[in-house]
Amino acid sequence: MALPVQERWDLVDAIARKTVTTGTHRQTLGDVLGDLTVRPLTGISVAVAVLYAFWSIFSSFAGALVTDGFMVKAFDNYWLPWLQEVWPDPASIHYFLFVGDPLAENCFEAFGMLTSGLFVSIGVVLPAVLIFYLMMTVLEDSGYLPRLAVLMDTVFHRIGLHGYAIVPAILGLGCNVPAVTATRVLETRKQRFIMMSLLAIFIPCGAQIGVMLEVIPETVGWVMLYLVIGFGIFGFVLDRIIPGSNPEILIDVPPYHWPLWDNVAKKLMNRTKSFLKDAVPFVLFGVLIVNVLYLAGIIGALADLLEPLFVIWFGVPKETVGPLVAAFLRKDLAVAQLSAIAMTPYQMITSVVLVSIYFPCVATFVVMLREGWKELAAAVAVLVATVFIYGGLIHAVGILMGVA
Amino acid sequence: MADTSKTVLMMGNPNVGKSALFNRLTGGDAVVSNYPGTTVDYTKGVLIESGQEYEVIDAPGTYSLEARDAAEGVAVRLISENPDATVLIVLDATRVERGLYLALEVIERGCPVIIALNMIDAARDRQIAVDARMLQKILGAPVVPTSATGGEGIRNLAETIRKAQKADIANVRARADGRFDEPARSGGCAECGRCGGC
Amino acid sequence: MKRLSELEYGESGFIREIRASQYELNRLGIRMKKQVKMSTRQPIKGPVVVVVDDMEVAMGLDTAEGVVIETEGHEGS
Repeated sequence: MALPVQERWDLVDAIARKTVTTGTHRQTLGDVLGDLTVRPLTGISVAVAVLYAFWSIFSSFAGALVTDGFMVKAFDNYWLPWLQEVWPDPASIHYFLFVGDPLAENCFEAFGMLTSGLFVSIGVVLPAVLIFYLMMTVLEDSGYLPRLAVLMDTVFHRIGLHGYAIVPAILGLGCNVPAVTATRVLETRKQRFIMMSLLAIFIPCGAQIGVMLEVIPETVGWVMLYLVIGFGIFGFVLDRIIPGSNPEILIDVPPYHWPLWDNVAKKLMNRTKSFLKDAVPFVLFGVLIVNVLYLAGIIGALADLLEPLFVIWFGVPKETVGPLVAAFLRKDLAVAQLSAIAMTPYQMITSVVLVSIYFPCVATFVVMLREGWKELAAAVAVLVATVFIYGGLIHAVGILMGVA
Repeated sequence: MADTSKTVLMMGNPNVGKSALFNRLTGGDAVVSNYPGTTVDYTKGVLIESGQEYEVIDAPGTYSLEARDAAEGVAVRLISENPDATVLIVLDATRVERGLYLALEVIERGCPVIIALNMIDAARDRQIAVDARMLQKILGAPVVPTSATGGEGIRNLAETIRKAQKADIANVRARADGRFDEPARSGGCAECGRCGGC
Repeated sequence: MKRLSELEYGESGFIREIRASQYELNRLGIRMKKQVKMSTRQPIKGPVVVVVDDMEVAMGLDTAEGVVIETEGHEGS
């Protein structure tokens, strides 16, 4: 039998009266910090500082320290020359597929499965996702995310979401796959749909950011800026187009506690394991497929076919079609490929933004399908429109600024 | 008790430590964080205790059995899909009231329940005392204080799962009002008149 | 009597009426007769954070407007 809601609450109160006694609660350091980090004035400064620290540790550790300091040397000075020497028959198809360009001097340009493929996944992306997940775990476990959600609520409210959308957004900066599932914390289908679309389109994953930091360190800020602006504009538009309600934020704000080392280590292990297991094969396989498509002339034909769209509308060279094909498999791979194409800095920004917003990678696509095929179909429609409009817009901005 | 494998469904409010407790019980890998809504899908694991195998399901946190978002929907679906499951209700000892609401809803459904009074260490730090024995007496189902992060009470909880009890809400109410010794009578039911002849 | 959204920092009171989303609010411990204390209010129509039973709950401004409070003054914030 079921009680009416109010009677159930009365019973809860009766039981609580008999079992719970509250002493005088002393304020702890955590409580004080909790207060400070959620007050507008102090909270916003702390949030800016936290995000800035996050970004600078991420870029300096992953980019400068591990990748440039160690991986680039190891791969370019030892691995690549060794492979080029021992792999037989530089003119053969298998050489092209696995080692790539016999004259390449670094692992980005070679573009073979065992050269660029391994370098991108292990040399660039692995350190990036490791440090990213470490910091994200600390954010998650400390209890900071709900406070960040409160601070961001005002902004997200304008685009039909509420502050708690920060959770899938931040998870998405690691990997879009768990982030798509995390949209379930939002209440209505409308909110979930908006978040899922924005996630798939405008939030680059950690792997992609890692590669961007490595190959286009001077323009990555612009790419991120374009993505953030796009997130805002298209969120605003989607909120007005899509029917449904936007419930307000209503969440528990848990007290802070110290992240437990065991738990941090365990999460880091699991996330790294799943990266090695799921992502690395995709990168290697991606290089292979793209190389095969090149050999078969399919990418060349596609590039000729899409040339007007790319050159006139987006303002980027037609060679970028190849990376866009690769982007469906892995975005990090696509960005690495773009870096090998001769372009002006603005074309590079445009094409990297295009790679980000164009189609979600295949893994994201699959989890989106699990959340509902109707949503997925609608998201794809939104995506195609967005790529077309925003790509053109960025080109137009470039023309106005005189740099495109 | 003679079944070959039993299902234990873990239910509770968001961010009360269900996943941490799940990992302790099953050695599983459920993701644990300090924000409500970490678990948005379920995770299954196995616990073997005194020769009995249990399939343990870690459900997303929910405040009640009327789902407000999709993650809560998953939790509510799990309880409907596993009508024979033992429900392990995880309460946060620092905010028992809220968890009790869900606990009563589960009890009203007639599920055999056992209650983990989790975060008992945090409650002590905050000078909140919860009388586990009294709670057990009132609810008529086992209550085990635990700390998933500290490891306190986990063994005891695992051993107690087999003692899970169905409780009658009318009796719970009688005991909450201080009427302990009166055995449950159908007359008590007629008194409230809303139960639809249970 | 004041709306919850109108409480000053550190001001507290007892809940006398919940006009909207009662069910949702109840689940987070915002219930009739409970004592609440304002913790923070975000600018530009942002959400408010209140303390109930020693726990912090964040809610949107419109929701907070639907909660009526009998104030009892400040308790140094």
